[in-house]
Amino acid sequence: MKKQLLILPSVFFLLILSIFFYLLTIDRNPSELPSTLLNKNVPKFETESLLKNEKFISSQEFGNETTLVNFFATWCKPCRDEHAYIQRFSNEKGIKVIGINYKDNPKKTIQWLKKLGNPYSNVAVDKNGRIAIDWGVYGIPETFIVNSKGVIKYRHVGPVTKKIYRKINLIIGENK
Amino acid sequence: MIINKIILIKIFLIITVICLTQFFSNNSNTVEPDEILQDQKQELRARNISKNIRCMVCQNQSIDESNAPLAKDLRILIRNKIKKGNKDKEIYEFLTNRYGDFILLKPPFKLSTLALWLLPLTFFAVGVFIILFHNKKSKKI
Repeated sequence: MKKQLLILPSVFFLLILSIFFYLLTIDRNPSELPSTLLNKNVPKFETESLLKNEKFISSQEFGNETTLVNFFATWCKPCRDEHAYIQRFSNEKGIKVIGINYKDNPKKTIQWLKKLGNPYSNVAVDKNGRIAIDWGVYGIPETFIVNSKGVIKYRHVGPVTKKIYRKINLIIGENK
Repeated sequence: MIINKIILIKIFLIITVICLTQFFSNNSNTVEPDEILQDQKQELRARNISKNIRCMVCQNQSIDESNAPLAKDLRILIRNKIKKGNKDKEIYEFLTNRYGDFILLKPPFKLSTLALWLLPLTFFAVGVFIILFHNKKSKKI
């Protein structure tokens, strides 16, 4: 009986080892954090619109159709990298994309959009980053999917890559 | 022998000095002068909250220690809320509603964190049990 018990620590050790090995090999990003905003309504906010001569009122923008929300800035290099994908969403897929311009210079942003193309149907100005805090944003670019009821269905931190582009298309398809 | 002792004392002194400077350097902080509140009591409350809030950019620092722009924004936000008369609990709630429990450096005692809090105690109890059990046996021999 006692000898059999002696195997227990090594079994336990192997178990822990296999758990670690499993977590190492599966495809995951350890710095990615769970969003508490998933399946919750979009935060309400009002701010200036970058391109239109009127206020940006969140309740008028969300809740009509599935919308992609993209936090971006001209000073952020990954935002430039993902821009082609954001454009594909609005041009090829016909998805409504809202941009939230984070702590940026409006003039520079307008130039940036003229140069690279504008995928956004409307751009909200987040001058001091206060709107981003309400969305739980901690590093731009960040992209959210808001369904037709105004509920957040998906969040991605970091630039949209080919893989994420496919994933977002899949989730939008499910939520239509 | 005497030389060895002197070297040992020197090493001991060096280590003590390093430890002490580390300890006191913790008192210096990244809170910028323009952020500090006039009311000392309110400022103290803000500092205490900031020490418990994780900087989401650096993830292993509190916003009280972090130089990240988001940490500064949150420090100012906390101070504005204190000025408005919000209670500490309301401020913590505001932050966890947006960033989740992860923003608290100390995880809350919840059903999902039960293992986290209770496992060390269980291991300790098992350890004590093993030691007692082992002693009994060895006394018999």
